[in-house]
Formats: sequence, structure tokens, C-alpha cells
Amino acid sequence: MPDRVPLIIILLFSLLLPAVAGTSEASEADPWLAKAALKVLDRNCLACHGAILQSGLDMRQRDTLLRGGEGGPVLIPGNAGESRMFMAAAHVGELKMPPNEPPLSEVDLEVLRNWINAGAPWDVAGAAKTSEPSWWSFRKPQRPDLPKNSTDSWVQTPIDAFVLARLEEKGLKPAPRADRQTLIRRAYFDLIGLPPTPEQVEGFLLDSSPDAYERRIAELLDSPRYGERWARHWLDVVRYADSSGYESDHYYPNAWRYRDYVIKSFNDDKPYDRFLQEQIAGDELWPDRFELPDSRTIPLKKMEYLEARVGTGLYTFGPEALESRQYAEQLRAEELMDWADTTGAAFLGLTVGCARCHNHKFDPITQRDYYSFQAIFENSRQVEMSLMSPIQEVSRNIDYPAVVAVEEARLAYRLFEKKVKERVEEEKKKEFSPEVVAAYEMDKDERSSEQEELAKPLGEAIRLVKLDEALTEPEREQEQELLNRVARAVLKVSEIEGSNLVRYAGLLELPRASVLGHFEPEIVPPVHVLNRGQFAEKKERATPDLPRAVSQTTDPGGIFSAAMGSRRRKQLALWLSRPDHPLTARVMVNRIWQWHFGQGFVRTPNDFGRQGEAPSHPQLMDWLATEFVARGWSMKSMHWLMMTSSAYQMSSLHSDPEARLLDPDNRFLWRMNRSRLEAEALWDAMLSAAGTLNLKMYGRPAVPPLSEEETGAQAARWPVVAVAEDQYRRGIYILAQRNFTFPMFEAFDNPQSAVSCPRRDVTTVAPQALWFLNNRIALQQAGAFAARLVSKNGENPEGWVDDAWRLALHRPPSNQEKKEALELLATRARRLKKDRWTELPDGLETIPLRKAAALTELCLALFNLNEFLYID
Amino acid sequence: MNPFCCHRYAKVNSRREFLSKWAFGFGTLPVIHLLSRESLLETVFAEAARDSAVNPLAPKAPHFPAQGKNVVFIYLQGGASHVDTLDPKPVLSRFDGQGLPDSFTSGDLNFSNIAAEESKLMGSEIPFRQYGKSGLELSDILKNVAEYADDLAVIRSCYHESFVHGPAANYLCTGSILTGHPSVGAWVLYGLGSENDNLPAFMAMTDGSLSGRTNKNHIGPGFLPAIYQGTQLKPEGTLIKDLNLPREIQLDDQRALLDWIQKSNERHRESRPDDTRLAARIANYELAFRMQTAAPELVDISKEPEYIRQMYGLDDEKSQKFGRMCLLTRRMVERGVRFVHLISTDWDGHEQCVENHWENSRKTDKPIAGLLGDLKQRGLLESTLVVCIGEFGRTPFVQGNRGRDHHPYGFSCWLAGAGIQGGKVIGATDELGMRAIEDKVHVHDLHATMLSLLGLDHKGHTFFFQGRDRRLTDVGGDNDLSKRLLQAS
Repeated sequence: MPDRVPLIIILLFSLLLPAVAGTSEASEADPWLAKAALKVLDRNCLACHGAILQSGLDMRQRDTLLRGGEGGPVLIPGNAGESRMFMAAAHVGELKMPPNEPPLSEVDLEVLRNWINAGAPWDVAGAAKTSEPSWWSFRKPQRPDLPKNSTDSWVQTPIDAFVLARLEEKGLKPAPRADRQTLIRRAYFDLIGLPPTPEQVEGFLLDSSPDAYERRIAELLDSPRYGERWARHWLDVVRYADSSGYESDHYYPNAWRYRDYVIKSFNDDKPYDRFLQEQIAGDELWPDRFELPDSRTIPLKKMEYLEARVGTGLYTFGPEALESRQYAEQLRAEELMDWADTTGAAFLGLTVGCARCHNHKFDPITQRDYYSFQAIFENSRQVEMSLMSPIQEVSRNIDYPAVVAVEEARLAYRLFEKKVKERVEEEKKKEFSPEVVAAYEMDKDERSSEQEELAKPLGEAIRLVKLDEALTEPEREQEQELLNRVARAVLKVSEIEGSNLVRYAGLLELPRASVLGHFEPEIVPPVHVLNRGQFAEKKERATPDLPRAVSQTTDPGGIFSAAMGSRRRKQLALWLSRPDHPLTARVMVNRIWQWHFGQGFVRTPNDFGRQGEAPSHPQLMDWLATEFVARGWSMKSMHWLMMTSSAYQMSSLHSDPEARLLDPDNRFLWRMNRSRLEAEALWDAMLSAAGTLNLKMYGRPAVPPLSEEETGAQAARWPVVAVAEDQYRRGIYILAQRNFTFPMFEAFDNPQSAVSCPRRDVTTVAPQALWFLNNRIALQQAGAFAARLVSKNGENPEGWVDDAWRLALHRPPSNQEKKEALELLATRARRLKKDRWTELPDGLETIPLRKAAALTELCLALFNLNEFLYID
Repeated sequence: MNPFCCHRYAKVNSRREFLSKWAFGFGTLPVIHLLSRESLLETVFAEAARDSAVNPLAPKAPHFPAQGKNVVFIYLQGGASHVDTLDPKPVLSRFDGQGLPDSFTSGDLNFSNIAAEESKLMGSEIPFRQYGKSGLELSDILKNVAEYADDLAVIRSCYHESFVHGPAANYLCTGSILTGHPSVGAWVLYGLGSENDNLPAFMAMTDGSLSGRTNKNHIGPGFLPAIYQGTQLKPEGTLIKDLNLPREIQLDDQRALLDWIQKSNERHRESRPDDTRLAARIANYELAFRMQTAAPELVDISKEPEYIRQMYGLDDEKSQKFGRMCLLTRRMVERGVRFVHLISTDWDGHEQCVENHWENSRKTDKPIAGLLGDLKQRGLLESTLVVCIGEFGRTPFVQGNRGRDHHPYGFSCWLAGAGIQGGKVIGATDELGMRAIEDKVHVHDLHATMLSLLGLDHKGHTFFFQGRDRRLTDVGGDNDLSKRLLQAS
């Protein structure tokens, strides 16, 4: 055990070394003691009394330690009993360290006591090491050796070696392997967010080749569905939404281009370092796209750059309060805050926002650090980037008169409207006395309060008139004609086909992406340190810089900081994507692990700082982090590594009372975690079973029809997709407005997108049951599911049941289940109220209505099973 | 052995066993009828369902008799300033604009944004008056609630250690600064079960959104079985969606389907006995089924008479939203909903604290007063504990433009109902409102008091998790105030 000094040695030293006073430098006689003492300090004290200088005390060097802190000296060499640091560590006296924790262990206290009594010698070599950042996550990951248990047959991959070592340490045993049926379902939902088809399940079960499972994983990784699944995870992290939230909740018409960018990036297995670089600084790193070439096709290289720049869209769909536009400065301050916080949470895995107001006790990010971090974005701003080359824009303008024609047609209609209003108003006035009319016609400000009262009823009467109903017959004809004119004009505007990269059917606006660009240097609004985070209370101007607590080892000479100039995000991105960055790779492998296994090593994935949780498998996490980098930051190779491990393939049904007692949270992974499908995956699963899922990729958000009850006052904000087939697309494509969440997603815990969501809530509440029992969509999909069963099996209930189970639960029914299902079909067909079933979907009319309705009910029941949404 | 610390819930697993032993030999019947009100064997089964060994939500006897049965927990998110609401500080006003006197060093106190030494004291700009027979002093922020001064017990010596919203709100709502611990509502439900099988027994409503600073953790089940979590209602639009059955399916049709679903779910759960989410979902289906009949009636406030609507401030645009929440709360309490968690957002007055509080007063004062009055006139206040508190108070000294910073070291709350003899004040802060000095009441003490008023011994109300019997009050809660609250002043 190189880390610990055996107690016996320490005791030996304490006998050999008399309690001499003095301030000797590292003495030759006691190298062990000095080394051991520094380890104790490192483990227990330096987190606060190191780089962040809590109470002004720096315990990293002998001289600073001797100097003491704000509370005076803490170390009296030769006299442990009166050294405050020892008393605090031993919890003798009022000051107790570490705060809110028990005193140091007996062994550690012995070491400290003897070391101080020996004159507190300093281990120079060891001290150099402790100038490493004191917090674990700020130190570079060291690739650990594989634990030596790898002879165990359970250990199939390095991951297993680490998991098993940890389990053994805790006296736990891994669960047996899940059965193949479970495994294939788990793998499909996990990797592509869709169930396997019956044929895929069958194929896998019959495939006896030793690499059958691995081949399925490889296939799934190649599926374009993979990107749609995993992009959704990332969108949670970057608080993606199609509108602003707050009162206005204004629409972000181009946010979806970023969503598509993420899907494509995952599908391309874009190296994570590149993925990060593009999002933070695509424009600065690959500026060669500022001007698109003057041709109709855009060269491939340019397209890549263009794509990189769309990545910076990350900074354009944050929450935004329109009402504060009146305070441009406040709006800007809020924008910068959102940018800094999101960058910190998503890429750095640090909750930096706490430092906005002042230095926090336990936070390594100081207030100065925070504003320096913000200042990296100082000269950046959102711009709308045209996705058409100049020549395309020009050719669009050939048709511009058609756009003008729409404006004119609309104006003509407005004029007509005004005329009708005036007529109605005049007629209403005739119903009131001249005094009332006179009062009404007065300027509002000039009315006396009596006149105000007088005018009220007339005003009210006019307000209540519905123009629609007030039209005379000739007016109605005229209205129709004018409306037709508008419609025709609209239809005459040519739709934009765009280039090879622009999928778009636009009407009045040009295809654009919202991305980051820069202010002209002359008008950059400076970032200041803000007193208490208040935008109006500026202190000194902030210097753009990396957070020093993290960068002290990764940018010791300040090279990245010094190079910032006017391309600051570029330096941030390059620094973050350093292969030896202490956080970047760790934070991402922790996320990937969490999305596969249900919980991360660190269960606060956005906070690897001092407020965060310690990792459950520090060695495995570091091994994965270094492996991630070694494999070129390939996320697909991480999926491969994790999913081919024995750990991933464990059963989740395994019940071990002792293990439950020792580790109820399954922190150490003695079995697989059972997961509930997330909102989008649940939606996709339902549509998959029903056979209605449209796998069309990309494009403007999909807007499925909703009931009036559901849209309420928001109906105008929910423009339903016209093409029926396009209404039911994968959940990731459904319009995600901050203030109006797709109701089913809301019931099933999708994130609110106000800030980065590293891990979704999973609630179990009654409204979820109500959705699946009563919502129109659920019943419609059940109907479509029934029609699908009928189209394949005709009027053969046994065939229906067999197929229904395979499509919804991805396994055949047991005999008992089949029997019960057939009974249900029979009794339901007898008892249900036939006359209520008037709207059967196409394909069900080929069988008797009673049977069709009963089958629809069975399909609905299947959607409601626990098994439907829990994945073992 | 402590009868309350337990694995009561684990017994649910043996429901089948329980049934097969039942004299009628029900083991062969679909177990799900157990929870079904439509069943022919209703009486017998209803009895069974009330057995806590079977139904984790069955009403349970408290540890000792108590008047309090229901709880309305009003959480003032952001933290209300105690010196502007419940804790008058004439001395503070006298020293307005001056630095902190030396005798009030704040060396060991941390504030989110400011150092006390660099700031200036700021007296309240809001007048305090004496109300009721008791002469309880309250500020004009509470001028409507003040009508019930003789029903209120004000605690002026609340404190805890966390000056940051997230941990402090967790503290207040779950007894732990960490995320993942059971909420107060979940603990209460676990202790007392539900009085109404047709509605969620723990409901939450907020006038903001349940994300960020007020979040699902505050009404979550933590490590308790998932069935004890709170259900959120949105106090606008359709309160509970999807309550209406589809045209094609009527209640009896759905019941038949549901029986089949639940039988399948039970079978599925048999091999997964230790996953409480599965059991919770099964129970939620039964609840959802019954809610279809019960909930529309609950949320339909159209028949509430005009004077009642006015009591709650429904006629005023400002107070309408919170008023609706409070009116619904009364309707829930009437129907036996055990725990209602109300959230009033935005008390975080870092800037112009007085304006912030006035605005919040306009939104909430009338509604809360309406709720107190209405509960009282219906005789429900006697059995309903109402608690109103933020995650901390605010500094007696100024931040920025007449704002106040977070202040957990001494702040106030009020309680009413559940037999509390009102018109009294417990505890005190120092003359400046800095620290609780008399009769200090920690969050754990408040929680202990709340449980006690409901007849639950906070030390005996435990759940075994990760190696020990966990409590809402952790290792604290020794200052249980319930006896004093119940004594006549």
C-alpha cells in the first residue's frame, strides 16, 4: 500500500523522534513521515486551503503554512498539541475541520501529530506533486492498470474488470446475464430508441453464432435511427427548445437546424472533440465559410464548414425574456449568463453560475473567473446566416414581385375590413343618444369622467360586434373575393428549393440558420464583473480567460488565454478539447455511461465540482476517459465498449436481498437498472407498434394534432402538420416550445429546457395513466395497431394476439396470456357498445365491427402495460 | 421493536399470499378487484384495502391521537423577508442606514451575495400593526391574513445553515440539503395514508413552473416507495387533462380492460418484486380510474358562490391565480386530500425588496386569508395544519437597490389550524433580526412539530434505507413545539 504509512512505522518514528522545536527543512532522517503528512494534508485540507485559499490559508507550501491564515498561525513546529491545525483536525476545541465532517482518522491524526512534533519537515518532491489541483476532477485522468481479477470468466472487457473489482470490494456479486429476448429489446431501445421488429428479434434468437449480439450492436450503431435517439440526450444537456419561454415565448424559427446538426453529428460519429469545437467555435475555427461561393452548388469542404457553424446554434435558442428588451444591457447580461452557464454545465461539467454573484465558499470558480469566462463570449453575438449562396438569393428575387403582390392583396383585405368596421360603428351609434355619441367621439384624454361613463356602453356595444356576423350579403361576396386574392397571391410565390444542403420549402422568408458571429470591434459591449450579479452594478472590466481553478495545470503558461485576441471561443474550444483535459472526456463518458446504465459514476453529471458527487467507480471512469481520447473521441466506440461488457448484459430481474441491503441504489452495479422509456421513446414505441411511425428525418418541427382541451388558448401556437403521414414522426422532431409542451411528453417528464438538464426526472403519477387510457391519440394509435394486425392475419384472433405481443412487447405471448387475451377479445366483442364505435381506422372494416372494436381495446390495453414502457 | 419503522411496504408483496389465506378463498380471483370500488365484493374488499399491509395508501392510525389530519404547506419560494412581514424590528429601523454594530459581528455568517460588515442596516418600510385579541404584530404585507391573527402561531426563531436557494429549498421541503430525499408530503403520506381513494393524496400547485428552483424533488418520494410522490396540478386551463373517457369507451368497458391490464401488470411484477415503481404504477391506474369521476367535481369551481370567490380574491386579476390555487386547496382538504403543497414563486427580493413583497402580497394575501377563513367557517381548520414559510428569510441589511439578501440564520414562519391555539409568538431574533436567539427552531424542529401535530413521532417515523432508519428530521428535531402550540396562550 504505497498510499498509507503503516501505523507501526509512524509509532516507531514517534518513539525515535523527540519532540524537538525548530523549523528544519526537509530532513534526511524522516522522509516517510513528511511524505505521509503531506498526503494527509492533500486528502483532507487542500480542497479548501489550497488553490482557493479558504480563510487566506495556503497549506500547499511550508512557508505559507507557517504564515497561517486570517485566523492567525496554525502550525507550531514541534508542538502538535498547540498547533491549531492539529486541534481542528482532532476536533479538540471550537474550530473543527474539515467542516461538518468527523475528525480525521486515528491513523491520520497520528501522522499529523508526529510530523508536527518532529518539526514539520517538508517533503520537497512530494510537495511538488501536491501543487497539482487538489480537487480530483481537476487533475488529469491517469490511466489505471486493469484490476487483476480478469481471470474470472465474467470479465469480458476491461469495463468488467473494474466493475467486478468494485463489487468484490463491497462484498457483492454480479447478476447473471439477461436472457436474449431481454437483451435485444434493451439494446434496441437504448441505442436507437425504437423496438426491434418481430423479425429482428426472431433473427437474433435463432442466430447461434458467438458474435450474434456484437453484430447487432454494430448494425444498430450504423442505423440513422441511432443519431435520432442519442441526439435527444444531448438536446437535454444543451436546453434545446423551439421557443424562448417567459411571457412572450417567441418562436425560434431556425432552432431545428441545430437539432438536425446534432442528429447528423451522432450518426457520423463525429469525434467528440470536433463536436465540441464546432458548437463552441465553429465560426472561429473554420472561418472559411463566411462567403458562400457564387454558384448553385456548394463544394463539399464548404458544406462541412457550414455545418460546423450551425453547431454554434447552441447559443441561439436559450431562454430569453422579450419584455426586458427595453433594457438592452440586461438582456445582454442574461444572454451571457445563459451562454456561460450552459457551456460550463455541458462541456466542462461544472456549475459555474453560482459564482455570478460572489465567490462561493466551496466553489472553485471565483467570481472573477466567472466573468472572465463570460468575457470569452464578449465579442460574440447571434447572427442569421443565409444558407443560400448569393446567386441563389438573387434568383429568388426574380420572383420578388410575387411577394409584393401578397402584401398588396393583404392590404386590400385590411382596407375592406376597416370600411366594414366604420359602417358597423355608424349603425351602432344610431342606437344611442347624441350625448353618448358625442362623448364616444371625443378624444379619450379629453373626456371628463362623466363622459367616460357615457361613452362606455357604446364602446362596449361596438367591441362586442363580431365582424364576421355583421357582413351584408354583398360584403360577404366581396370578402370572399379578397380572401381568394390573398390565397392566390400566396400560392404564386415560388417556394425555395435551396441548394444541395438546404432542405426547405419556404414561403416568404429565406432559409437561414441562427448561429454565432461577432460584433464589429468598435461596438463590442464590454463585459464587467458585476456586483452581486446585477447588470447595473458594474465593477472592473473582465479579462477573457479560462477558469483558473481548472486551467492552472492544463494551461499553466496561460498560452490559450494569451492567444484569445478577438477569436476567444476558438481558444476555449481548443483548450477544452485537449486530450489531457481533466474534465472534458470524463464528463462525457460519465454522461454516456448514465444514458446506458441509468446512472452515472458521478450522479451530478453537470457538476464535477465540489458540490457534486464523488464517482462510484473513479478508476473505471478514468480508464474510459483515457480510452475515449485514445479512440479518437469516438462516441460509437464508447457505446460499443459499454454495451459489449458483461456489466451491461446483466439481468435487471436478479434479486439479491443482501445486495439490496448493502447497495439499495445499485451504485456498484450488481445488476442492470430497469429503465422507464423517456417520453419520446415511449411515443416512438407506441407508433412503432401501431405501424404509423413515419421515419422521415430532419426538417421543421413536427406538429401532431391535439384536442382543443389540450391546446386551450395555445391553439394558434400549434400549427398542425398538413400532410397526414407527416404528423406522426419520431418524438425528437415534435415542436418543443418552452411554454407549451406536447402534453404526453409533459406527463412523462420531458425537461423544461430552462437550463441544462443532465438527467431527467422519472415520476410515476396518475395523470400518466389518464393519458394512455383516455387520450384520443392513444386510442387512434390502438386502432391503427388493430388494423395492422388485421391486415396481416385477416379474421384470425390467434394471429392477432401472437403478432400483437411481438409488436408491442417484443416477445411471443405465453399460453396463459394468449388464452386470457382471446377471452378478453371474446367478452369485449359481446359487451362493448357497438354504436359508439363510429370512427374505425382504414383496414378494420374488413372484419365485423364488434371484433374490430374489441381488438382495438386490446391494443389500447397493451399500451397500458407496465411491460410496455419498462425495459428490463 | 418499533412498530413504525418498517418495511410495512414490503408486505404489499405478499398480497397474493394474504388473499389466498383469506377465508373466502379469493386467491383465485383477479387480485385487482381489491382496489376496485365497482366490485361486487366491495364491502369485503374495501376492508381489505384499508389494511395497510395490503394497500400502502390505506389510512393508518397515527402514533398518538392528534387533531391534525391534513396539511396545507404554503411555500414562499425565494424567501420572504421576516423583518418586513412577521418579525417587527423597531431597533433596526432606528439604526437604519448605519453599519452593523460591533456587538453583532457576523463573522460566522455567510450570505449569498454580500458581506454584512460592508452593508448598512435597513429598517422595514412596511408598517406593522397589532391585530386581534392577542395583539399579534404583523406587517401590512399580511393585512388580510392578519384578520386571522388569533388563529396564527408565529415562529420568529427559525434557522438553518444553508444560504443558497437550491439546498435551502431542499432542506425546507425534504429535510435534507441534498436532492433525492423524500419530501415532507411523502413522509406524511407514508405515515398516515390517504383518506380519499379517488384523488391523489398529495397534490402540488405552483403559480410558476415546477422546474429549476422549485422542482419535482420538492414533492418527490425520494427513497420512499414511488407511490408516495406528489402529483402536480396546473392551476390554469384544464387542471387535470384526459379525465374524459373517449367516446367509444364507457366506464364499465374501461373497468373490464383495466382488470385485464392490472392482472397482466401483477404477473409482470411478480418477478420484479423490489421495484416500487411498478407497484406505484399499478396503484396509479386504479387511482386514475377513480379520478375520472372524482376529479372533475373537485376542480369544478363554477358552482362556488360569489362571496366565496371574492374571499379568495378571484375577482382581482392579480390574486386570481393564487386564489384559484387556494380555493382548490380547500376543495381538496374537504375531500380528504392529505397534503397540499402550494408554491408562491418569486419572493427573492434582491432588488427593491419592498416592491417585490408588495407585489407578492397582492397575489397571495387575500387568497391565503380566504383559505384560512373558509376552512375555519367550515370547521376544517381544526383538523388542517396550515404552514407558511420560505426557504429562508432576508437580511436586515441592504443589498443593492433596497434589496435584501438570503438569510437563513433567523427568520419567521406561521402555522395555523390542527388545534393550534393562535395569537401567539414563539421565539425571537436579536434586536436587529440577525440571528434567532430565543427558542431556536431549526428546519428539523419545524418538521418534527408538523409531524407531531399530525400524531406522528418524528423519531419513530422512519424508513430503512442505506444501512439505517432514515427520518425526515435526520438527527435533529428535538425542539418539538407542538405541545406549546396546542396550549392556550
